[in-house]
Amino acid sequence: MSASAITISGVDKFYGPIDRGVHAVKNLTMEIAKGEIVALLGSSGCGKTSTLRMIAGFEEVSRGAISVGGRKVHTLAPVKRNVAMAFEGYSLYPPLTVRENMAFALKAARLPKSEVDAKVASIAKLLEIEDILERYPSSISGGQQQRASLGRALIRNADLHLLDEPMGQLEPQLRAVLRGRIKHFIKERGLTAILVTHDQTEANALADRIAVMEGGVLQQFDTPDMIKRRPANLFTGTFVGEPPMNVFEAYVGNTVGKISLKLPDGLSLDYDKDAFSAPVRDQLLNRERVVIGVRPYAVRRSKDGVPATVSANQWLGDQTHIAADFAGGSLVLVEHDRTRLELGAPINVSIDPKNLHVFDQASGNAISHGMELA
Amino acid sequence: MASLELKNVVKRYKSQTVLDDLSLTVADGETLVLFGPSGAGKTVLLRLVAGVIDPDEGKILIGGEDMTDVDAEFRGVGMAFQNFALFPHMTAFDNIASPLEARHSSKGVIKAGVESVAKLLKIDHVLSHKPRALSNGQKQRTALARALVGSPPLLLLDDPLRNVDAKLRFEMRLELPRLLHDRGATVIYVTQDYKEAMALGNRIAVMSQGVIRQLGTPEQIYREPANIEIARLFGDPTINLLDVKPARDAKGIYVGLSNVQVHLAGAFEAAVGRDCVIGLRPEALSFVNEATPGAFPVTVEAETPLNEKIVTLVRTVRGREILVSRPAGAPGQAEGKAHIAVDSKSALLFDHASGERIGANKVVNLRSGEAA
Amino acid sequence: MEHTSLLERVLRGIALTLVVIFFMFPIVWIFMMSFQTNETILRIPPQLVFEPTLANYTALITGKLETASGTLDIAFMRNLWNSVFLSVTSVAVALLLGVPAAYAFARHKFRGSEDIAFTLLSFRFAPALLVLLPLTLYFQKLGLANTYFGLIWVYQLICLPLILWIVRGYFEDIPADIEYAYRIGGHSWFATFRKIALPLAGPGIAAAGLLAFIFAWNNFVFALVLASADKQPVTVGALAFITSSGIQYGQISAAIVLSITPTLALALYAQRYLVEGLSLGAVKG
Repeated sequence: MSASAITISGVDKFYGPIDRGVHAVKNLTMEIAKGEIVALLGSSGCGKTSTLRMIAGFEEVSRGAISVGGRKVHTLAPVKRNVAMAFEGYSLYPPLTVRENMAFALKAARLPKSEVDAKVASIAKLLEIEDILERYPSSISGGQQQRASLGRALIRNADLHLLDEPMGQLEPQLRAVLRGRIKHFIKERGLTAILVTHDQTEANALADRIAVMEGGVLQQFDTPDMIKRRPANLFTGTFVGEPPMNVFEAYVGNTVGKISLKLPDGLSLDYDKDAFSAPVRDQLLNRERVVIGVRPYAVRRSKDGVPATVSANQWLGDQTHIAADFAGGSLVLVEHDRTRLELGAPINVSIDPKNLHVFDQASGNAISHGMELA
Repeated sequence: MASLELKNVVKRYKSQTVLDDLSLTVADGETLVLFGPSGAGKTVLLRLVAGVIDPDEGKILIGGEDMTDVDAEFRGVGMAFQNFALFPHMTAFDNIASPLEARHSSKGVIKAGVESVAKLLKIDHVLSHKPRALSNGQKQRTALARALVGSPPLLLLDDPLRNVDAKLRFEMRLELPRLLHDRGATVIYVTQDYKEAMALGNRIAVMSQGVIRQLGTPEQIYREPANIEIARLFGDPTINLLDVKPARDAKGIYVGLSNVQVHLAGAFEAAVGRDCVIGLRPEALSFVNEATPGAFPVTVEAETPLNEKIVTLVRTVRGREILVSRPAGAPGQAEGKAHIAVDSKSALLFDHASGERIGANKVVNLRSGEAA
Repeated sequence: MEHTSLLERVLRGIALTLVVIFFMFPIVWIFMMSFQTNETILRIPPQLVFEPTLANYTALITGKLETASGTLDIAFMRNLWNSVFLSVTSVAVALLLGVPAAYAFARHKFRGSEDIAFTLLSFRFAPALLVLLPLTLYFQKLGLANTYFGLIWVYQLICLPLILWIVRGYFEDIPADIEYAYRIGGHSWFATFRKIALPLAGPGIAAAGLLAFIFAWNNFVFALVLASADKQPVTVGALAFITSSGIQYGQISAAIVLSITPTLALALYAQRYLVEGLSLGAVKG
């Protein structure tokens, strides 16, 4: 990757007095490369919005530094940081039309009219708001306002584009295609973007890397694929992925040539010792209890598996979601074909050891992913 | 026995007709989903059945009995509301108990009834809380428990999962079928989420502007949507819609995609030579090599993973956008030139002018047990 | 965001003090006057230090007013009782009639409901003097003049519209779904009104009742014209202190203190319920 677009080093955010107030962001360090799309993902109160607001300059940095393009910006006024932002509440200028809203920053930068018009036209086409360019924000729907607000941010030539919950209100029928177009647009122009979202689907679809936050702490910062395959802890494991990862507590048993993960109801997942690498084996056998996790699509139905009972079978057109009573809890399976199983039908499930995630029972930190140590 | 029958029901508000001559029959023990955009009249329909508003014309029969003029409290239905509608000044226990109290059940019976349904819905530990002390998920479960507690033969659920977050919604969606099934109730379920509709309904009634546009099993609605609008409402990503003009050659009927003749399998004789729109579900498209029959060239623009699938935005030679979706492990491409092919059996054709579906590739009408 | 500076806090304190002095001054001054004789009150310049006397209160309670021109009989305690009785009964009647009516207006949109509601409200806009003369004549014909019954009836002009409009707003704020849920559960409309609507609108009803009470208490013109001495409330009774030998400031002040005490006490007592009621956002889910 080329030079870093933004560096966040050791940033803390306190609301109220430093070290005594509410500690919203805890010692956050991140480096984002030019041309990268990064998602700050987490539930409300995780510190993602505070982080975004500190980058934009709406919130003071209590401790640490932020630089954009090599320039320390955390003490500059927002207007001097050269960042563009799409707000969660849209914040369109009510007395201006959608067109004037989008052209506002360009006009302020004294671009020639023809160029402004051309840019507005192309973004409007991308976001399918050509027919409402002359309307006022109050007369258009929430989804349209959100698209106009996105357009106003994307049209600018900024060092950094900040998008706060950019697609939450979009019409479901448009969502998939707009995701594709916006990603293509950002990539084609080599823009750097940080989006804040609570929706892991959005983060996965758009981002090159996802920063998962919880309780003000960065839990994991990696590509969507790595977060899916190698979640750092139980929180990221269950937060990212839909349907969420299945998790069960298990006792580790050791019989000749086998490692058994003993589940409630007398069930047990038995694996050959060779299914795991030696370090993983040692880690497992060193513990009495662990938490095991498996993604719904990695659960297979097979004759010699562990018994379970179907409690729901839902075909969604392109996938089937099956829930089964299993080991005192519920196990979810996703199959890409249509599965015909009656409610109450007995099935047998097996989990390939290479799809098994093991977490520490106390800390929730990952121990192993499949064959490999975490 | 609690079948439901609506006969030519009309409901107007001032000059606006909210329900227009609507007739509908729901069989005993069936789960019927009312699906449609807001303002379609779904909630009004539910309230008419509940008896809290009255129709201007038509009849409402519950269990074969004419209930049109019967007050809400004598209809014996259970209802859960989108905004939960919990009584804020009562504890969760009293909320759930209220339908039993109306029947003047004894204290013991009420206690047992509330506790058993609360246990089923996993809220037995918060029964002493007032609604404001409950989380959103607990509120939603309390509302559901209140609807279920009297074992009403007819259950009306008005978008009950709308105001809870994605994870809870998913969890509840998988939990509901058993809950409903075990009670043996006839259920009318209102939703705007097509996944809920397909997952929970024995049949789905697609409504818009006060009229039922299509009534069928999830399979029928998904595979044989009556028109473009309905096709667009089901499926994520949304169905691809491209203008085409089908033609015929020796090998059958074909359409032009990226300047390639793609042959379709289906009874589309009526479409030949007409201006049509072809509907291609993203999952009916796949990346193939150039030599595959019917493969047409595209440029890959962006790849956006979606849950366990990968959705790719591609552009045809003529600049039209298509979304392709494939299971996470399947072959595909993230950039550059590629070829894709259509699963020709699942292509849909619509008349360009009217939006109605053309052709008769009927799927057998089966009442699928899996959604029960 | 940042903690406030010392200067800011000092300035805020000064501003608050000024506001408090501005608003509290008349009340404090009256309170002080009520413990002084007319002579000390009228001394120029006024003095903050004086020898307090309970003479004013004694005069009011015993009903014997000593003036320069002799002893006057006043019926202040009677007036006070009249005020209490008239206000309490009027508000009670208005609540009994107004709350169900407000509920009907809030929940059932029948033909002309908006017009009727507005007509009722317009009673509050009409100047009382406009209706006073015909009303007096009617009352004399009907034998209602100078009766508690007649006064309470007229007081409905003050209380009823107020209660109707405030309480209606509170009923409208209760989501209809909450009531629907109760009815579908098998309860009659009356049970729904009693168990759901009334408790949820309770704070609003209390607020409206309190406001109506204050308006009724402060009413002057209706009572002045329609009631004679033995039925008059304090507002009218206070006129008696303007005597031929001068205005009895001391007694007036004592009378004011005694007559605002019930409303003040009621407002202070109800305050916490009102605040709680206004913050009962839980109604909205």
